[in-house]
Amino acid sequence: MEAQTPMQSAATPPMKSQDAGKNMQRQMMAQEYDALARAKQTKTPVAYLFISGNIQELFRSFGFLVVYPEINALQCGIKKAAGPLILKAEDKGYSSDVCGYVKNDIGLVMQNNKSPMGDLPRPDLLVCNFSGCNTYIKWFEALAELYDVPLVMLDVPYVRDGVIPKQDIAYIVSQLHDVIATCEKVTGRSFDKAELSRVLALSAKAEDKWCQVLETATRVPSPIDSFFEAVFFMAGINIFRGTQACVDYYDAVLAEIAERVERGVGPVERERFRVVMEGPPPWPHFRAFWELFKRWGVVCTAATYPKVGGLFDTGLRHDPSAPIESLANYAMNCYTNWSLDKRAELMEGYLKHFKADALVIHSVKSCRSFSVGQGDFRDAFVRGKNIPTLLVESDLADPRYFQEAQLRNRIDAFFEALEHRRLTTPAGGAL
Amino acid sequence: MHFAGVDVGSTTTKAALLDQDRALVGKSLLPTGANVVRAAQQAFQLALDEAGLEEHDIAYVVGTGYGRYKVPFGHAQVTEISCHARGAMRVFPGTRTILDIGGQDTKAIRVSPSGEILDFSMNDKCAAGTGRFLDAAATVMGLTIEEIGPVSLTSSAPLRITNVCTVFVEQEIMSHMSRGRKAQDILRGVHSAIAGRSLALMRRVGIDPEVTFTGGVSRNPGMVAAIEERLGAKINVSPLSQHLGAIGAAMFAVERAQGSPAPRPLVGELHVVGGH
Repeated sequence: MEAQTPMQSAATPPMKSQDAGKNMQRQMMAQEYDALARAKQTKTPVAYLFISGNIQELFRSFGFLVVYPEINALQCGIKKAAGPLILKAEDKGYSSDVCGYVKNDIGLVMQNNKSPMGDLPRPDLLVCNFSGCNTYIKWFEALAELYDVPLVMLDVPYVRDGVIPKQDIAYIVSQLHDVIATCEKVTGRSFDKAELSRVLALSAKAEDKWCQVLETATRVPSPIDSFFEAVFFMAGINIFRGTQACVDYYDAVLAEIAERVERGVGPVERERFRVVMEGPPPWPHFRAFWELFKRWGVVCTAATYPKVGGLFDTGLRHDPSAPIESLANYAMNCYTNWSLDKRAELMEGYLKHFKADALVIHSVKSCRSFSVGQGDFRDAFVRGKNIPTLLVESDLADPRYFQEAQLRNRIDAFFEALEHRRLTTPAGGAL
Repeated sequence: MHFAGVDVGSTTTKAALLDQDRALVGKSLLPTGANVVRAAQQAFQLALDEAGLEEHDIAYVVGTGYGRYKVPFGHAQVTEISCHARGAMRVFPGTRTILDIGGQDTKAIRVSPSGEILDFSMNDKCAAGTGRFLDAAATVMGLTIEEIGPVSLTSSAPLRITNVCTVFVEQEIMSHMSRGRKAQDILRGVHSAIAGRSLALMRRVGIDPEVTFTGGVSRNPGMVAAIEERLGAKINVSPLSQHLGAIGAAMFAVERAQGSPAPRPLVGELHVVGGH
């Protein structure tokens, strides 16, 4: 197996900002889960939301604490706790075909919300913002029944042909007024538009910095991996938008990246291939999956999964001057809420802008909003655009669907062929 | 100076030896069994025996197949996707599309005229449409794997087998048998079902002529006929088709020993930052 080599030679002083973002994020997550565990004690209202297209800023302005069942499932996956939780849900009758995130969450409810991250509070309010995924509806309907709490549906129209019709924004805005009325009822507080604008201004600041982080991957070699590292860096934008801590977090990440650039270090020692990654990672086997690419010197210079919480790199921003409309516009512009054509267009743009050699699609069994159409993406890129494309399959939550030998075989064969092409063609096989 | 390729598959292990003119001088085939390392060693030794060579006559060994990292005497490893493509083009230089059906996987590979792999696709997580599917059919009908192909060719009224699951197909076959259907008609249906799945896999990469059929299942004449029927065209099949992966591996061994540039992973490379 691969030799373990010290990260830096003795002569090189350690990096000042080494893992600055990661350490700060760990602290922020611990504080957040601690606040959640004490929510009942502190009498703080709790809302459950989904990540994609969520309106956390509105809830923040009302003083809610927010629980994201998807983040809990992700955390359980990476902490190797997902398998037994999924089996608990299957014992209750959930089919093996049901999304692993849903089953992970039902498993947590069945063990009284005792999670590896701490005790999770019961919701006071469930808000189903089902941007791009219809499984969300059934998931929160099940939670509404299990917890016996009110469920608010926020119906976000799908972006079909590139242009967002004004009436779609108006439709979401009208629903947001209903959500505001519900929040007032649950908290006993009145809606404070100025407070929402203040929170949104902080969101926009963090969004600017997040885009700066992503843009650093245009460098050759790239100082970051825009998939394997960005899925951690995205925590700020997905969970902590609208806080000063989130802005500070991205400052720390940017400082760390600046130091990497200065030192000439990156996610692999020698960058050999730059790829665009489509699809979520297999959380329970995250490191093993990354290693399969690292051994070929592969760096992901752009990825679609970190854009599920908002396509800020396309210019999208929260706007404090039009708070409600801006929440509506944001909710529509999340990656899985875009049509397949728009997604393909985005990936093609990534391939060019981030100077990538190939597209890698990781298709997951759980998530239909991601995996539907991925076979067509593969065809469109390989045949239509002559871009080497690899499609591999496993799951984002269920450890049973990760077959390392099969994955290794496909990944090795793909980069073997790419390398062969580079070695034997005068142009070097680059795009 | 000689060169070797050892293909450790899920069901059988194959070895091939080439001389410096890339002519085949020795080959072997045996069941992989539980001890993968021993299978690799035995296959290598049998090929040496056939060629009348000793281990020290071999300059370079490339391992391929699922067990490629278990070839202790191998100098390098190359995936069977690259090796099957290389081996198929060695025997049929006009090959543009390769269909490989092995014991537990099926793959379709499209190559350029210069042998560059343009695209490939494989079955995932399931043995439907592979050699295992035929094993299951043979077992339930009380025939050997060698018998089912020729028997299927005697059918004049093939049945339609709708099940593609290796486990459930047994039930479907049993129900046909209990209704008194003829063995050859059932088997023709089984072969046709696999051919249909294989063609779907090939369409994913695009079917350019010539098509070369490799892997253990290509030795089954019933399968060759079923694929040709579905495809509406003749396909290349070599008596060496089971050995094409090992031959391809030996071709890579020749190139690497001669110092040609060769793709390989950066084994041992360090991870500098991150460490989530």
